[in-house]
Amino acid sequence: MAQLISAVELWQNETSLPSVPTFSQSLDKVFGSDGVQLNTMNELLGLPGSGKTQLCIQLCASIQIPTILGGLDAEALYIDTNTNFTAKRFKETVVGSLNRCHKLLENPAEVDELAALRRLHYVNAFGLEKFCAFMYQLPNVINKHDKIKLIVIDSITFPFKVGISSTQRTGLLFRQMAELQKLAVQKQIAIVMTNEMSTRMGLSSGPLVGSLGDAWAHRCNKRVLLSHDEHDASNRIALCLKSNNSPNTVGRFRITQDGIRDIETKT
Amino acid sequence: MQTLQSLNHCLLDENVLRSLTQRRVVTILDFLNEDIEKLSIATKLTLSQILSVRNFILDKYSAPIVTGDALLERDRSFPKLLPTGIKRLDHALNGGIPIGYISELCGLAGCGKTQFGFQLAINCVQTLQRTVLYIDTKGDFSAIRVQKILENCGIPNMEMAEIMFKIKIVRIWTMDDLADIIKKIKNKIITFKDLALMIVDSLPTLMFQYLGDQNKIGLALLNTFVNDCRYLCSQFQISTVCVNIQTRWIDQDVSDVDDDKLDSTVREAVIEKQNRCLGKYWQAIPTLVIILENTLNDVEDEHEINVTINKSANVNTCKKCVLKTKNGILF
Repeated sequence: MAQLISAVELWQNETSLPSVPTFSQSLDKVFGSDGVQLNTMNELLGLPGSGKTQLCIQLCASIQIPTILGGLDAEALYIDTNTNFTAKRFKETVVGSLNRCHKLLENPAEVDELAALRRLHYVNAFGLEKFCAFMYQLPNVINKHDKIKLIVIDSITFPFKVGISSTQRTGLLFRQMAELQKLAVQKQIAIVMTNEMSTRMGLSSGPLVGSLGDAWAHRCNKRVLLSHDEHDASNRIALCLKSNNSPNTVGRFRITQDGIRDIETKT
Repeated sequence: MQTLQSLNHCLLDENVLRSLTQRRVVTILDFLNEDIEKLSIATKLTLSQILSVRNFILDKYSAPIVTGDALLERDRSFPKLLPTGIKRLDHALNGGIPIGYISELCGLAGCGKTQFGFQLAINCVQTLQRTVLYIDTKGDFSAIRVQKILENCGIPNMEMAEIMFKIKIVRIWTMDDLADIIKKIKNKIITFKDLALMIVDSLPTLMFQYLGDQNKIGLALLNTFVNDCRYLCSQFQISTVCVNIQTRWIDQDVSDVDDDKLDSTVREAVIEKQNRCLGKYWQAIPTLVIILENTLNDVEDEHEINVTINKSANVNTCKKCVLKTKNGILF
């Protein structure tokens, strides 16, 4: 039975919830608090090559920050639907990020690469059937691995490209998301999904919109659009399109060998 | 269902009731469903007596006829409108959102529907000192955001806590949950002190889960929700605001172009249409439809929301007003 609580209780609950940092303060601000907050559903939008997967990989690394530095010291689940993920890139990012963290400690320890890699759970769910089957199994997986605090779905669009009519797709998606969010709120998990862009001619707001239609645009708590910087190709821009708890802001970041970082201002 | 005993009818004395109970006729509905002759034999009452009891029941429980002046008198004795606390909107709405009815808040993603809902909840508690129930279907209620809005209004901490204490939140995920919670409020299993407003954010998130099914279960549940909700609204004198979403459709009017008239100036006429979701059934349900539209040129922390009143029983439709937000406060 759904629980009835007052805003005061919820506030206490919310303020005690940690966030997963992105390693870029500018980008953290776009997501609201100090990054991607637990219990929320976040959607990353962007053209191919805008840094969606890189940000996901960075978040999977950030979740491992030790508690002594205010991190979560937890594990991540990566649901890959489109062979975007590369283990090499994750290794670079997680080692780079953890090294950076350890430098802050008084007695820096060596980063245990194998242990860090072991704390990522990867699933390749190619095709609609495999994806749906896995989503159905998800509560069991989470029960088994209770350290998982971040679920990444990269991308949510891909399984639904063929073999399903658009009304059935919407129904299925909304059912899955209700289940997923219920799980996320119960177990205090952050959810990050990537979505592609599609073209709709004749729209007053410009032809380029997120995939899966207008109805889907309402579903996630936060929607962030990633893109290249026109003036400096190595920089990326993030724009918050919708958020339930913060004003829509713009942030800048870059993608380095070690993952997502702030743009260093030239002095 | 009510028992026959509660009728207090002079013909239904103890002996009659006992013999009816033996025949498993206990509730009023049982009595109405039973064959008249069988009842007559069992109770040793004449057919006309049974018929008079029947008519008594039907009279008592059918929808009553009320004259116009009595209706007007009843209307006057209760407040009809719940002020939103947003001056420009109250002006456009002739005072506020209707009490005792379902209203709808509609708009595209990210246009400020949830923000509007927060402000409505805050204003309602602040000005009327009454309770608000916020039914959250997608985890969008952010208490931190509400607290920030109150802080930006310059409200002291104690008062802030009091206001937030009067905003009750329930998180649900399916249409069954929603029907369940409404039923519990209706049957007074869940009670609130002085409930004034119920916000459902958002209905399509629940209803879309039934899209693509061949059966009409979703529609049936929506119908149950609407009926129970209407009962709640009139019984407890509360307002209900349901958040609905908008989608855009593009009609491509490819005009028949004659070959000889073909030139570069002829273009396809593209018409963008806004469509309220939830299907045809829902279109007629709300008595008031407020459509929000975010203006594109927004500066950080400060932007404008265009509001159109699309359907209303009390106000001229297509009234418009512009709301502004600053530091998260909508005014």
